[in-house]
Amino acid sequence: MRPLYRALACAGALVLTGMGPARAATEIEFWHAMSGALGERVDELVKKFNDSQKDYVVKAIPKGTYDEVLNGTIAAYRAKRQPEIVQSNERSFLTMVNSGAIVPTADLMAEQNRKLDPSTYIAPVVSYYTINGKLQAMPFNSSTPILFYNRDHFKAAGFDKPGATWQELEPQLNAIKDKGISKCAMVLPGDYEWSFLENYSAVNDIPYATKRNGMDGLDTSFVFNKGKLVGQVERMKRLIGSGVMQIAGQGVIPVQLFTSGECSTIIASTATHAAVVAAAKFDWNAAELPYEQGVTPRNSVIGGAALWTLKGHTPEKYKAVAAFYDFLAQTDTQVWWHQATGYVPVTVPAYEAAKAQGYYDKNPTRAIAVVQLMRGTPTDNSLGFRIGNSNQINVAIMEEVSAAFLGRKPVQQALDDAVSRGNESLRRYEQLNAGKK
Amino acid sequence: MPRLRWPFLRKPAASAGQPESGLKRAHFNEWRLPFWLLAPQLFILLLFFFIPSIRALVQAFQLTDPFGAMTQWVGFQNFERLFRSSVYWTSVQVTLVFTLAQNVLTLSVALLLAFATNHIARGRGAYRTVLLLPYAIAPAIAGIMLAFLFNPRVGPIAQMLQSAGFDWDPNRNSMHALALIVMAASWKHICYNYIFLVAALLSVPHSILESAYLDGAGPIQRFLRISLPMIAPTLFFLVVINFVYGLFETFAIVDATTRGGPAGSTSILVYKVYQDGFVTLDLGSSAAQSVVLMALALLLTFAQFRFVERRVNYSV
Repeated sequence: MRPLYRALACAGALVLTGMGPARAATEIEFWHAMSGALGERVDELVKKFNDSQKDYVVKAIPKGTYDEVLNGTIAAYRAKRQPEIVQSNERSFLTMVNSGAIVPTADLMAEQNRKLDPSTYIAPVVSYYTINGKLQAMPFNSSTPILFYNRDHFKAAGFDKPGATWQELEPQLNAIKDKGISKCAMVLPGDYEWSFLENYSAVNDIPYATKRNGMDGLDTSFVFNKGKLVGQVERMKRLIGSGVMQIAGQGVIPVQLFTSGECSTIIASTATHAAVVAAAKFDWNAAELPYEQGVTPRNSVIGGAALWTLKGHTPEKYKAVAAFYDFLAQTDTQVWWHQATGYVPVTVPAYEAAKAQGYYDKNPTRAIAVVQLMRGTPTDNSLGFRIGNSNQINVAIMEEVSAAFLGRKPVQQALDDAVSRGNESLRRYEQLNAGKK
Repeated sequence: MPRLRWPFLRKPAASAGQPESGLKRAHFNEWRLPFWLLAPQLFILLLFFFIPSIRALVQAFQLTDPFGAMTQWVGFQNFERLFRSSVYWTSVQVTLVFTLAQNVLTLSVALLLAFATNHIARGRGAYRTVLLLPYAIAPAIAGIMLAFLFNPRVGPIAQMLQSAGFDWDPNRNSMHALALIVMAASWKHICYNYIFLVAALLSVPHSILESAYLDGAGPIQRFLRISLPMIAPTLFFLVVINFVYGLFETFAIVDATTRGGPAGSTSILVYKVYQDGFVTLDLGSSAAQSVVLMALALLLTFAQFRFVERRVNYSV
């Protein structure tokens, strides 16, 4: 036995001496929700930052989906083991702002004497994450939905490209199915609440909720159960009913049905570029979101996520966080991130730089999202959405709308039910957050 | 050192004559030993059952934000909201249909397979191994596998069904989705039922079966007239276990197979607790729902002890 003890002691001593010199760099944790190709890009991004200087080390840790990251963060925060930075999606904005658990990005940067000029940011991005004139979170991966299409299928059906309006697009989709070119002319994306409902109302300039979609206060109520949006859901139901639009269902990611060449079109986040470029073996292209005939299309709204700084850390750590944010805001970083992932650049200089490089001449589809986000002056209906309890409401709306797709309810009733369930959640949020904006 | 007295060294207590069931208080006249013997288990129960249960009970009467920064006492508001919500009652209905269908399917298939085991001459070992395999597969994997096999766009089984002229689509048809989770849940649980039933069938006395055989009863008649009544206690036990399984342990399967969809048509109660608590962060409602489920579990346990345990003799 004795030699074994000695060996163990030696091993222990080795470990101790190995750990001897303390690391000078401040290490911070960054929890994110990027998986697959995008997860690899995050690792590259963090490596770029870590290699660029010696004082700080960012550790990127994937924690599952957006929901799982948020849940993990909540559990960690309650146990006082929260990371310094957490990535949270755009719909969790109010949850994060009113959590009492975050340091507003504007305050953090001011305290650390780092410059951050909101006016250089793309308007719908910065307005989304700003409240009371203060940028609350660091815009990170911003996207907006666009229409990807299989050009081979469109050519075979005798079309050059998809029509700009729904009135032109719908007959094209029907033709693709009827001519037997594809059994799936369009696939319903998993986040259709965002791409087909919210963005539809922004682009077509119709109100989704009162008080400028919640921007003017928590006493907002949903009003999407009338007018054009009812028509939009009717159309979706029609397309699903006739088999033109397919539902991917569990076990299959909708985008995969597009990249495999099975489905002819998908309306999805511009970040889908990463997957399409990697997997599509056919002639593909993209276009702006379709809109209603006779409407001047407005800017679409953003999706994606921002980085939130959590409370409860030492000033040293916050110094590191500010340095990382500063690095993210650099034009070079933004241009690289935009081109590597398909997300939109969040600053105007980054967009200009990419343009000056001739990037959009070579990759015209990469400009679609940026142009669509920046077109025109945002109206009250296209500023964005500020909805409390939005995870809850999202699930309720999708449940009701899909009940209409299934034919369990008439469309109008489904939307009425969605509105009343949504409003109930809004009132509860107002009750809990009374007095806040 | 406390003086230990071992139960078997003691002479019979005054109550001798009555059947002894389990250890009685009189066996230990000193509290420390039993306490330390029980402590590990009690500690685990405290940590994973009592503390969470009490927290759920408290939270059911609160309105709180996910981070726990703001908390309001709202009395029975969460329960009121729950019982007013048509979505919740739909979930109750779905759960009822699901657990019943799952119970019937699991038991009948397991019974058929157990019956067949006794009549298989060759390869009995292989047959049993194949049947027991699903039990070793994690529910999430089983769910994803079935979701894929039955996916109307890419699943091989779904395409077989469609080419046979059956318009299978669990994404658009609630009944198909429900059938899918019943299948997934049963498939996972058939082997558990099967083990118990095989053991029970083996313990049916051969002499009785032989005399029935001599009287001219065929295998099916022998099974229905003799084996089945004799294994009734096991069947009872399995019915209760299957209910508990269907009500409380099928979360992972639903999450992996349908995520409660389409349009909430497979959102069983236990899945709704998860979805409302961890996806939509409606902690109050989720806590209220888990209190309701807890009451249901108590009721089932009570029923089991009161009606099943008393009448059923497990020493088959």
